[in-house]
Amino acid sequence: MRSNKGTWLLLSPGIIWIMLFLVAPLIMMIYVSFWTQTTFSIKPDMTVASWVNFFSSDTYFGALLRTVRIWFTVLVVTILVGYPVALYIGQFIKNKTLQTALLVTCVIPFWTSFLIRVLAWRPMLGKEGAINIVLQKIGIIDAPIEVLLFTELSVIIGMVQIYVVFMVGPIAFMIGRIDGSLIEGARDLGASTWTIFRRIILPLSMPGVIVGAIFVTVMVLGEFATASALSGRKVNLLGNIIITQVGSLKWAFAAVAGVVLTVVMATFVAIMLRIVNLRNQL
Amino acid sequence: MLEVKAVSKNFSGVPAVEDVSFTVNENEYVTLLGSSGSGKSVLLRLIAGLLTPDEGDVFLNGAPITDLPCHERRIGFVQQKYALFPHLNVYDNIAFGLRHRVIDPVKDESIIRKKVQDTIELVGLVGQETKMTGQISGGQKQRVSLARTLVTEPKICLLDEPLGALDANLRERMTIELQNIRRELGVSFMHVTGNEFEALAMGQNMLVMSDGRIVQQGAPQDMYARPQDLITAKSMHNFNIFSGDDLSAQLKAGTSDKLPATKLKDARFCAIPMDKIDISDASAKTSGLSAEFLTSEFLGNKIIYFFKIENGDVCEVEDHMSLRERRELKANATYQLHWKSKDILYYGENKQLLG
Repeated sequence: MRSNKGTWLLLSPGIIWIMLFLVAPLIMMIYVSFWTQTTFSIKPDMTVASWVNFFSSDTYFGALLRTVRIWFTVLVVTILVGYPVALYIGQFIKNKTLQTALLVTCVIPFWTSFLIRVLAWRPMLGKEGAINIVLQKIGIIDAPIEVLLFTELSVIIGMVQIYVVFMVGPIAFMIGRIDGSLIEGARDLGASTWTIFRRIILPLSMPGVIVGAIFVTVMVLGEFATASALSGRKVNLLGNIIITQVGSLKWAFAAVAGVVLTVVMATFVAIMLRIVNLRNQL
Repeated sequence: MLEVKAVSKNFSGVPAVEDVSFTVNENEYVTLLGSSGSGKSVLLRLIAGLLTPDEGDVFLNGAPITDLPCHERRIGFVQQKYALFPHLNVYDNIAFGLRHRVIDPVKDESIIRKKVQDTIELVGLVGQETKMTGQISGGQKQRVSLARTLVTEPKICLLDEPLGALDANLRERMTIELQNIRRELGVSFMHVTGNEFEALAMGQNMLVMSDGRIVQQGAPQDMYARPQDLITAKSMHNFNIFSGDDLSAQLKAGTSDKLPATKLKDARFCAIPMDKIDISDASAKTSGLSAEFLTSEFLGNKIIYFFKIENGDVCEVEDHMSLRERRELKANATYQLHWKSKDILYYGENKQLLG
């Protein structure tokens, strides 16, 4: 117990930081969600009105369902798109320098600002955007596909492109760590390439998938910018609701949406961590 | 049973295995001795099918398997680093081949259980079945790796430095156990090692590899007593090798009886066993090869004295403690080394044993 003092000294900046900027705001948010909200003011009188209002309103509860649906779609697509890329980088590229170079390449879009990356999809997906023009020129379609922009689809496309790299990174890292001798060993024991993937590579890369899924989840669930920029404000996620509620000074309502969002995220992360014990794997 | 014919393999122009041919018979323990970088691991991988030879062929029971992929060869390969699957427990590691092989997988879990349990008993892992591979010791990992291969009943089992990572006690025990296990199963083992004692102790037949070539093969006792090739002699670590322009002068000085003139004329190298050299004081009447005493190394049952001879080469003399007392030698003092003519092995220009 001699190191007690030193330990606390080292821990204190972190603890103070987390207390001030995470724990206190969280408690405050929960607290405020029970305050009484009138049109122009808010009073600290405890009520569940905002909660009842949230879950009984189609607009708000619908936004929650939409958020979960879009998040889940983006999550599945990032895994489907990201895993093969990560497998290629981690397993088929033997040269470590080239591996790093390819991973850095995945991050190149991040050299521009977030909003520019999102807005860049508009000239791509629009009615007279690049994709429609190309498809029309080569004669695959006669009329432009309108569903590409300002729909849920465009929001999903935009989010997948932005967040897939957070899936590729952790998976490629885990796959890259798999010792080649394991794969040789499995092959020598008579296993086919598919069996080796299914029985060795996939289970050993699961921690990467879990970490990637947590990254993507935390970012997508809190999203509002991609949704409003690529849906023309037609697709409202919980994040967008919070923004508008705060804008119109409806603090109690924004707090309810915030708490709900936090609970959804925390539940998912907890379930993921139950599935794979990261401490054993990393 | 296993026949390797004129197999060669290059890595970007650098030959790793060159024109290697040998045969492993049914129910035989073969050891392959070679220093690191001699190409012995590459040779094993060529046989296992993890690498494809540039030239030559591999046959198993008369059928060519050179173009067969690794997982269809049914050749067991126990890797140097064990390569256990970290996400599976001991039982599932051992059952992996039976369950998941392409050819003739075992679907019936009760048969798998029977086979795995038998193998677990054979290698002495009873009670460890449910442990994860991270929870067992190096020796146990070695056994799991061996069991995992043996349970699939391969026609031949290749072992890549299987005892390399074990401590000395365990190595000695595993040496005996490996032989017992092999005898019990009646399967052929090809054991690769960089340790000459291991190669001598375990093999019924022994191959010595150097610079990608097999330099000698034969029974261990012949290899040790009369190495046909100078490289074999060197790898036994039992001989002092004399060479150079002053070879015959050195031999004349150190040999206490008459030298055979014809062999002496053709010899470019000579090998003299370390334990066949005697030491006497510089003042003694007997003639000998003058050498400066450097240091000695006490190894329990034997002691090794290191001398520097005139041309700068180091000459080692080995005394068994059961045969004589420890000598009291002074560092940097000069002594006379001498030996008998019958103990000298002569090697010609081509590094082959003469006569």
